This record gives sequence, structure tokens and C-alpha cells, in this order.
Amino acid sequence: MFRGNHGLLRLAALWLLPLCISSARAQGDSVALSPPPVATGSVDRVSAERMNKGLLTRSLDALSGQAAGVNVSSSGENRMAMLTSVRVRGTTSLTGGNDPLVIIDGVSSDLATLSTIYPADIESFNILKNAAETAQYGSRGASGVIEVVTKKGRAEQFHISYDGNMGFERVYKNLNMLSRQSYVSTASALGLPYNDGGFDTDFPSAITRTGFVQNHHIAFSGGTDASNYRASVGFMDHNTVVQPQENDNFVAKLDLLQRAFNNHLRIDLGVFGSSQRNHYIYDDWKLFYSAASQNPTISKGRNASGGWTKNSTASQIDHPVALLDMKEHERALNFNTHMRLTFDLWRQLQLTLFGSYSFNSTETQEFLPTYVWAQGQAYRGEQKGEDWLGNVTLSWKHDYGMHHVELLGMGEEQSNQRSGFFTTVKGFNTNAFGYDNLMAGATRPYGGTGSSYERPTLASFMASAKYSLMQRYMLTLNARADGSSMVGENNRWGFFPSLSGEWDVFREAWMQRLLSGASPGVLNILKLRCGYGVSGNLGGIESYNSLQLVKPNGIVSYNGSPTTTLAIARNANPDLKWETRSTFNIGADLGFWHNRLLMTAEYYYSKTRDMLYLYDVSVPPFTYDKLLANLGSMSNSGFEFGLGITPLEKKDMQLNINVNLSFQRNKLISLSGRYRGEYMTASDITAIGGLNGAGFHGGNNNIVYQIVGQPLGVFYLPHCTGLIRNTDGSLSYEIADLDGNGEVNIEDGGDRYIAGQATPKMTLGSNISFRYKDFDITLQMNGAFGHKIYNGTSLTYMNMGSFPDYNVFADAPSHNIHDQTVTDYWLENGNYLNFDYLTLGWNVPIRSRYVSSLRLSCSVNNLATITGYSGLTPMINSYVVSNTLGIDDKRSYPCYRAYSLGVSLAF
Amino acid sequence: MRTIANRVKRSLAFAGGVFFLLFLSVSCLDESPRDQLPEEKAYDSATNLYLNSVATLYNYIGGQADGEGLQGTIRGVYDLNTFTTDEAILPTRGGDWYDGGLWQSLYTHQWTESDEPFQNAWNYLYKVIVMCNRSLSNIDRHRSLLDETQRLAYEAEVRAVRAMYYFYLCDLFGRVPLVVSADVPVTEVQQSTRSQVFRFAFDELQAVAPLLPAERSNREGIYYGRVTRPVAWFLLAKLALNAEVLTDDQWTDDTRLSGETLMFEVDGTMLDAWQACVAYCDSLARFGYQLESDYAANFAIHNEASSENIFTIPMDKMLYANQYCYLFRSRHYNHGGALGLGAENGTSATRSVMLTYGYGTGEVDCRMALNTYADTVRVDGRVVVLDDGSPLVYMPLQVAPDLSGSAYEKTGGARMAKYEVDRTAYSDGKLQENDIVLFRYADVLLMKAEALMRQGLDGSAPFDAVRQRAGMPVRPLTEENLLAERLMELHWEGWRRQDMVRFGRFHRAYDLRNPLSGEASGYTTVFPIPGSALELNRNLTQNDGYQERSK
Repeated sequence: MFRGNHGLLRLAALWLLPLCISSARAQGDSVALSPPPVATGSVDRVSAERMNKGLLTRSLDALSGQAAGVNVSSSGENRMAMLTSVRVRGTTSLTGGNDPLVIIDGVSSDLATLSTIYPADIESFNILKNAAETAQYGSRGASGVIEVVTKKGRAEQFHISYDGNMGFERVYKNLNMLSRQSYVSTASALGLPYNDGGFDTDFPSAITRTGFVQNHHIAFSGGTDASNYRASVGFMDHNTVVQPQENDNFVAKLDLLQRAFNNHLRIDLGVFGSSQRNHYIYDDWKLFYSAASQNPTISKGRNASGGWTKNSTASQIDHPVALLDMKEHERALNFNTHMRLTFDLWRQLQLTLFGSYSFNSTETQEFLPTYVWAQGQAYRGEQKGEDWLGNVTLSWKHDYGMHHVELLGMGEEQSNQRSGFFTTVKGFNTNAFGYDNLMAGATRPYGGTGSSYERPTLASFMASAKYSLMQRYMLTLNARADGSSMVGENNRWGFFPSLSGEWDVFREAWMQRLLSGASPGVLNILKLRCGYGVSGNLGGIESYNSLQLVKPNGIVSYNGSPTTTLAIARNANPDLKWETRSTFNIGADLGFWHNRLLMTAEYYYSKTRDMLYLYDVSVPPFTYDKLLANLGSMSNSGFEFGLGITPLEKKDMQLNINVNLSFQRNKLISLSGRYRGEYMTASDITAIGGLNGAGFHGGNNNIVYQIVGQPLGVFYLPHCTGLIRNTDGSLSYEIADLDGNGEVNIEDGGDRYIAGQATPKMTLGSNISFRYKDFDITLQMNGAFGHKIYNGTSLTYMNMGSFPDYNVFADAPSHNIHDQTVTDYWLENGNYLNFDYLTLGWNVPIRSRYVSSLRLSCSVNNLATITGYSGLTPMINSYVVSNTLGIDDKRSYPCYRAYSLGVSLAF
Repeated sequence: MRTIANRVKRSLAFAGGVFFLLFLSVSCLDESPRDQLPEEKAYDSATNLYLNSVATLYNYIGGQADGEGLQGTIRGVYDLNTFTTDEAILPTRGGDWYDGGLWQSLYTHQWTESDEPFQNAWNYLYKVIVMCNRSLSNIDRHRSLLDETQRLAYEAEVRAVRAMYYFYLCDLFGRVPLVVSADVPVTEVQQSTRSQVFRFAFDELQAVAPLLPAERSNREGIYYGRVTRPVAWFLLAKLALNAEVLTDDQWTDDTRLSGETLMFEVDGTMLDAWQACVAYCDSLARFGYQLESDYAANFAIHNEASSENIFTIPMDKMLYANQYCYLFRSRHYNHGGALGLGAENGTSATRSVMLTYGYGTGEVDCRMALNTYADTVRVDGRVVVLDDGSPLVYMPLQVAPDLSGSAYEKTGGARMAKYEVDRTAYSDGKLQENDIVLFRYADVLLMKAEALMRQGLDGSAPFDAVRQRAGMPVRPLTEENLLAERLMELHWEGWRRQDMVRFGRFHRAYDLRNPLSGEASGYTTVFPIPGSALELNRNLTQNDGYQERSK
């Protein structure tokens, strides 16, 4: 488990690999033009062809690794959770709203809803990254926009298709802890008292199983130009390798199109509904911590008296198998309907009326049995959301000779009502009822029952103008004004303009002259583009943040009876305003040899101002020590590079190689400014995440920090110069006196230094596909480089100081470290290249009257990872700023592979 | 052509109409909160004004989150007054309780301004003070709802709570900002001297005491849990007793004014600090407080009827969220398990407190068995066993700041008892029924004995009363015996740091602790101003003796 000396070599190998791939070009002689394998233009469009093909368990899987600057990752807590997080060009805000805006068929939505859509129903993802494009979404576009276009009906004959896949998942790597035999012999050799339960249990595998996945989808469509439809139903079911976790999702979708009045009116109607069931791991950190560190001599199952034998000296963990009985079940229903009426008023003048209504409800049910939670506890809660959106758009297009003009005006209003309630009961004398009869619990403690309501409103006006001259020079101007009920009364409206231009150099006459000497098709795309725009972000604000309100704060005895009192809930900030992000971008698209080599490159710089953050404020005069205010600023810059090569293209054979690289740099510029005329500042050094577990409560166990002047999420650690031998022969981490004051002080501001960043400096996505006749093979790779990972798992499980209460790694006794002080000793390079999946497909050449196509495929997901990181996997949370960012702390979800078979059949 | 033009006109009019409607609708971007109330609506009647500006403050005396509450929670005021002394220790036990060295540094006094409990305590105490200031301004703004008597009574109660919190701040941090009105800008928040804060607290309590109800606060009923007149008297007695320390603006110069020179006007008479203390102790005696014949009755599951308790935090697992974490934090896992409750196997009594009780000698103080679990542990008459079947034996003398690797890693140190164990408690035993005792009459008697002794008068009567109630033979009233008596009688009650400072012991060697270099100046008798407070308010400066790191 120790870091090898080959880190540098490995790093070099990892960096070279993509270069090797990109240099592996071959000359082909075919001239057939295939669709561009990478998107050109400023909007990155991931169409069905480009979406991932391996086993997909949620729609976002289809996008992972396909677009530069887009990182699909777990929300941090649970790598396998259904709801994944997406970062477009990194983190731009400290408080919230870092998930991109999701627009599904014109309806503003969120990642949770997107995750319920069946991947095969998606026509394309459009990733909007530059301000010129995101500005049309104004206040909500600051973190990028993912426009999802779902499949619709077409004017063609009746079609029906089935596609589905089935597979299983197997753990291939887990933590290697002391077995019963070595546990007992180590404890005896050290003369330490230990409990011998008489069993030999491998707890890390006791909580796992063979996972099972199945997805089925049926779609049919038909109609004419004047009226057509598409309908689909899908079912996804996923039982993961860790026992209690299960997800299934049923989804149905219907889209209709009707033209009327001589094609002057077009009606689009879409209806979408899904019902999702999720069984989560109640506390994944505790489950994995318990499984790894439980005394291996304890029985896997219940003991003779029907209870669970506990290792009472290990207070921070519980019997892992008993923990599997903690229930956290969720049922999410989602319904959306939208209608668009498009009137062709006159020539190119068009009026569009669009309205949508969404309803979603999430019910959470939890039960903690008495043997893992004193007196037991049950919880039920429901959150309901209703969203209304309406907009009116007037658009006009016109061509005057070489001039082309488009004008658009839009007004929009949306309102989101959120309401919820929850109740908690305790005091169970039987576990038989679970959460199904809350009356079985004896008491409902104060604060365990409550309800909430909010209904923020957003109104917007937008005007946009596009002008193009001779199809060569294009200029787009956007102006959007957004008003939100959530910001302070005096700052209701935000104004978000943008300007962008594009120059199609290829079409220039002089370019054509220049190329006339060269063979035709040597260069067929050359475009330059540039843009600047401002967008807003309100993700950090909740309803009422700008108002001084009171809410129940507890119960006191008043005149002898328990009575609820009210108090202010937070420091209110009546001056709350929009966080704004201005972005500048410049890029180029190039296509050579009939697009057999496509290149796209883009540089961007963005600055977030008036950054919303819960600033630390002085108490007194403030009541609470936090105030949500607009003070700081942060910058993000980066370079994105996309490459698509078709080195081989013949009738029977085709090879495509796509690589996208994204370099990102983030800097927290300032966390201070003026609030109500007073200069105010937040701490320059704030801990974001640290270690948990036995002996790690408080103290100097923080690891990842946000530090002004640094990228968000840096490791700020004491420096370990090596291991020193204690008098008893054990080893400790020797800590350097960095500030040279003669004493070692590992507090913030003491002997600590900035040891690296938690977010990757470079990410890589690469897709290689090869076709031979009817067979094709696709390999997808993702990589991340330039970041570090704190291996808190190893720090914990290498510490013999906690043995035998807590089990340790199999190689811990031989190293004999008796220390769990946080130092940079366990800070490792996080570079990795992961082979996400390998799919082998066969388009069966069927000649049948009914069957139009049949495709069979098999896939292996999570094929392998190349990394120098010594922990289980380097694919931890390296993107989302939360308390898990960059820290591998015993949250050791075992590594597993998925093997699946897929069938697509169309009639 | 004409029809087309008309159609265009009609369409544009239609579109314009839609835009106009939309424009109308956006003029209402105001929110109308339903699950929270605008502040003004919370004070619409005399009753609601009382509930939401006065009674609401009592939610903060106890607490459930770390650092919130005067007692019951961890890493806050209580821990600062307890683990820094010869009364209690939280040893590192292998993988447990290292916590970045926090507990060891509290024991050895090697704390720094960035240690979490300082920030917790500061933010908590000032939160309540700012809320008091807001309450006073709200009462003033809605005075039309109240008659004069009501207004004075409401204000008096709030001012008393505020003075009590300034007492804690002055005691812990010395030079703290005296903020007495709402809406003060940060730039005007500046430190006062320790003596100014002391004087403010004392004067305020004196001013409002006559306006407070002359009722017992510890008994269920109208005045339950409230700051009543006897509570103010108790605080006045405490302030007077500690006046020498709390008026000492230069606590690192090893000199302080004598209590005889510190004068207070009490009921029209000028008294020195000791006399003032005695006067307030006597007021409490006259009011009717008396020692319970049974020491344990004050800490029983149902202790609301105690004739000795003066101020308590009401506890009820069904009603209130206040927690009492200290028994849970102390007892061994299997001890908790045998009780059907949780445990964290942490807090121990120090060697010196056990030796003071006379542990291992022929004359053991009766309170040892009431306040601690030592030796073999029994629950329901049965010996509690460890996982390997051997009996659980707490080792009172085998305790040190770090027990890791020792044979007594898990069992070293006597554990906290004091409160009757509520076997029906929720949350691992933290939601118990026993009210948490903050102020009680035995302390008053010991304060009086001390004040009389300091004046060269005979304080043996109150001193003996406390010893006799404990079932112990009388002892001569000496400084040493009095400090020992306070240790045994008030064990686990959160007074030890203040007592040791007053007796000049806190910065000297005691138990297993050796003084730090430079500690002789007494700088550790006052905690550092939290680093976060210094950083956020540049007017503030660090207390003498501490390195100011964050500027």
C-alpha cells in the first residue's frame, strides 16, 4: 500500500498515451464524407451517434467523457448514486448553482429529472458553455446549459423497435484487511487484549453481492408531415453490488405533432412521466468503515440469541451486516406536459406560445431498527414541486441579398412551488412495522415533524439579433433581463447581455484562391469565433433569504405549559443580489481531408463577481456567524481541444478516434468586499473537508481548504519528512517545522503548506471505434490529471494505534505505524486513465420483410484503470466542492465490473 | 394583400397583448412567505411579544448542537470550564478521543486561539446577547401593546439573561466587547476592559432584580426555567465572590485588587465584595432555599421539586430538544449497553479528584460514590462484563492524558455519575428527564463560607452544613479544605475553572499537569479571544500572553 518510486514514470506514461493515440494516424483513400465525429461550432452537440454505448444505467452515463469541459461525476457522497453531478467548466460559484441548467425539450428541468429519462429516448445533448449561448438563459445559465432534445415522431411509416440489455456486476477489487488468523496472531504477539468471537468473516465482501442490471425499451412512431407521433415506454432496473442499493425506473413518453390551417399553425405536445424507486445505503460512510474495520472474528450473521454481536470497544462502527437493515427508500414521481403553438404569421414572422407544467413528488421513507439505533427510529417525508412556465416568442428572419437578419423577442415567466412535510418517530419495541405504521413508535420528538412551503417566481424578457454577411461574418447580440422574487427588493432585476461573432474563413475568396493549388478537400472547414457575455446565478439563494423572518425555534415552558416560540432564523441580507459571471471565449474549428481530421480548440476566461457565499461575520453585532452576501470573486479559465480522426475509411472497414482534452484553472480571487458600506471579509483559509472516524473528531484533521488566491479545493497539510521510530519500536509521522519557529504546530496557519489541488488540471475523454463489415468495437476512456487525492483510508487502516478495536490493513502490522496525524504522507497523485467500457457489436444482416434491423452487442464496463494511486480507485469526488472533495476517507465502494448483453431490434 | 396586412396587425396585437399581460404579472415578484413570518407579525399581542422576545431566549440556555448551551452539550462553555482543570480529563484511548489533540491541549493548557471550543463558546454566548438586544428593541417598538408594569417586567427578564451571559463572557474571555443595543455596526464593536464588563453585569442584575418575579425557577409551573429574582441574586453573589478576578484588568501582572477595596452599593449600603457576596447569599437563604437532606435528590430523574436547586435547564425527552451528553460521553460502552443506553467511553475523573475523595483510604467521602463510578461496575446488581466476559473495572488512578496502548486504555479513570440514570431516555441517554442543575444552594453556602473566611470571619456554619449533609465529619475551614470541598460537592457542575483561578491554582502545577513556560504570569487564566473573532473584527486584539496568529 506504500507509494512506489515510479510515480513519475507512471505519470509520464499517462501523459504520453493520448499523444500516442493521436499520432496513430493512417492514410485512407476513401472520399466518402462521414458525419463529423466531434462537434464543431460553439455549441457542443452530443448526438445519439456520439453517446456512450456501453451499459447505461442512467441517461447522464451517455454523456460522460463525450464533451470537453463536461465532467459527469458522483455528487461525492456515493459514487453509485443515481443522481450524479455535472460540472461544465468546473466550479464557478461557492454556494450553489454549480449544476448546469437542464432544459428538456424547452422545459427548464434539473439533473434529477434528466436521470429518469431513458437514454434511448434522447436525440441529443447540446452543451452550451460560452456566455453567448448561455446568456439566452440569463440568470440560470452561469454554470452552463445542457439542452436535451428527445426523440420525436417523423413523417414516415409505422416503426416499432425494442432495445434492451441485461448484465451483471462483479466486485473485482476490495480492501484487504487482516483475516481472522492474522488478526488473532497479531493481537497475541503484541500482547493486546482482543475479543475472539470464534468466526472468520471477511466483512468487506459480506456486504456485497453480484449486481444485476436490466433495461428494456419499446418505442413506436408513425404519421405524416401534417401529423405524427412517437410513443415509448422504458424500464430500468439496477441492483448494485452493495446489498441494500437498488434502483428502478419506469418511464413513458408521448410526443405529438399536428399542423393546421394550411401549415400556418403547428402544435407540438409532449407528455412525459416517470416513476422511480431508489433504495439507498443509509449511511454509506459508516457501512464501508464498519465493514473494513470490524473485528473479523465476529459472526457474519446473527448470534445464537438472535441479536448482533457487537465489538463494543469500537464505538464508531457497527455490525456491518446489521447496518444493511437500515432502510432509506425513496419513491419519486415525475410528470411533465408541455405544448408549443407556432404561428406562421407572415412570411418569416413567427409567433410561438409555449407552456409547460411539471409535477414531481419525492417520498422518503426511513427506518432504523432498534439493534442499530437506540430505541429505533422511523421517518417519512414528502416533497412536492409544481412548476409552471409560459413564454411568448416573436421571431423574424429576413434575407436581403447577402445580408441575413434574425430578430427575436421573448417574454417568460416561471413559478416553482415547493411544499413538503416530514415526521419522525422514535421508541419502537418491535422492528416488525418498519416505517409502515408510525404509530408503532412511542414518541414524536419536537423538531422531528414539520412542513415547508415556498413559491419563488422568475420573470424574463429577452431580445436577440443575429446578423450574417455573405455567410462569412456572423454577429449575435443577446440581451436578457431577469427578475427574481428571491433577491433583495432593490436588486430584483439583473441584466445579462452577450455578444459573439464568427468568421468562416474557409468561405473567403482569398482562401479559396489560396487552396486552389492544393488537392480538393485538403481543408474544408476553417472557422474562428469569439464571444463575450454575462450570465447570472442564483443557485446559492433560497426563498426568503433577503427577508428578516422568524420561525419556530423551540419549546419552552410558558405559564406551565410547553409553548412554541419564534426567533429569527438567520442573518437576513436585504441587499442580496445576483451573482454574475462574465465569460470571454475565442476558438477555432478546422477540418482537413474531407473532415477526416477535425480539430476544434477553444480558450475561455470567466470571472464570477458578487459571489454569493455564506460569509463568516462577526458575532456581535450579528446574531449568527454566517451571512449570505455578494462579496467575493473567482475566476475560471481553460483550454479545450477536440480531435476527431478517421484514419481508415473503406467499404468494409472504418476506424474513428476521438479525443477531447480540457485544461482547467480555477482561482478564488477574493472573499471580501463591502456590505452596507462596511468592509467585510471572510476567512482567507476555510476548511472544506477533513477526516472522520475514531479519533478524528475535530482537532487538526482538516485536509481540503478553500484559500483565497488559490484554486478552490487545495490540500493544506503539515509536511511529513518521513517515519520516525518511537521508543517502543513503532513508527510515527515526523512533521516538519515549516515556519521554523522551533515548535511543530499543525493548526491552520501553523506548520502547514499548500500541497496540491483536489480538482484535475486536465481531463481527457477518448473514444476509439473500429468497424469491420457488420462488426464494430468501441472503447471509451476517461482520464484526469494534475490533481491529488488524500488517502485517508490508508492513513486510518495503517494506524496500529486503533488495533485491535478496529481492524487494519493486512500489511499494517509489518509497517507498525502508530499514528493517525494528518500529514502529506498520504497525499498521492490522483492521475488516472480509466477504460470505461468496451463494446462489441454485430449488426446482423437480416433480410426480412418485417425486421428492418437487428443489432446484438456485448459490453464490459469499468474495464480497467491505469493509475499510480494506491487506494482502491482514484475515481473519487474530484469535481464537486463538498466535504468529500479530494478525500478518500473510508468511503470505499468496492471496484466492480459490469458485463452485459444488448439487443436492438427494429421493425 | 389587405387581408394579410390585417392578419399581421391582428397577430401583432395579440402578441403585444400577451407581452403586456406578462409584464403585468411580473410586477408581482414579491414573495409572500407562508412557512415563516415577517418579524413584525410575531409581536402582535402582549402574549406573543413575551413569547417571541422573552421566552424565546430560554431555548438557548440548554442546547443540542455542539457548543450550544451553558451545559449539556459538548465542546462549549462547560468543556472549557471542566477539562482545563483538576476535576476532569478526557484521555486519548487508542483510536478514540485523540481528536486532533484537543482534549490533551485543554488539559495541558496548550490551547490556541483557533481551538474550536473557543469559537463555539464565543459565538454562542454572543448570539444570545445579540438576541437579547434585539428583544429589547422589539419590546420598545411594540410598547403600545404593554402596560408599564408588563414592559418593565419583560425588559427586566431580558436584561437579566443578557447580564448572565456577560458574566460567562467576562469570566472566560476577559476583555470582551460590551454591546448593549441592536444594529451596532462592526466598526463600533470594540473591547471593553474586563472590569467594565463585570460592572455592567453586576449593575444590570442589581437594577433588574427587584423587577423580576420573586419565585423559584426550578419548579414546574409559571416560572419554570426562567430567570427569576433568586437566579439574579445567585449571579450577584457569584460576581461579588469573583470580583477580585473579574475586575482585574491586568491579570498577567500577578497583582489584583483585594475584595475589601471593591465596593458595591447593596440596598443602599456600601459593601465590599465579600460583604456583598454574603448579603446576596443571605437573601437566598431568607427566600427559603435549603439543602436537600439527600444530596442525590438534586440530580434525580424527577428533580423539579428540589428545595436546593435554584436554576436548572428543564429537560423532558418528549418536549424539549435540550440534551445532556455528559453521562453518555463518560461511561464505558458495555456500561451503557447494560443500561440499555449508548456510551462513548470518554470522560474520567482525574486522579487528584479521586484522591481528594480519599479513594483507596479508609476515609472515603460519601459523595465519591454519588458522583463517580469506580472499580467494578454493577447494573441492576449484576456485574457488567466486557466483550471477553471479564468484569468491567474502572481504574480511578490509572488515568492520564493519553492512555493509548496502556493496559487501562479502555478502563482507566473513574467515570461520571452524579445524575440518576434515566433508563427511559432517548438518543443514547442524552434526552433524559433529569433537569440539568446550573445553580444550587450548596454552592451558595460554600460561597458564603468563603466570603466570610476572606473577611477573617467565621464561616464554619455554612461550611459545616454542606459537609454534614454529605454525611461527612466537619473540618476546619481553611483555604485548602474549602477548595477541596468545592471540588467534591460541586464535582461535574462546571465551576472548577473559576474556583481554581480565584484560588490562584489554575496556572500552577496540579494533578499530572506541569505549568507551561511563561504560565506563571497567569495568562492562561483567561482564554484567548477566538482567532475567528479577531479576524472578522479588526478592532479586537488578543489577550496578553497569546500569540495572535491570524493578523
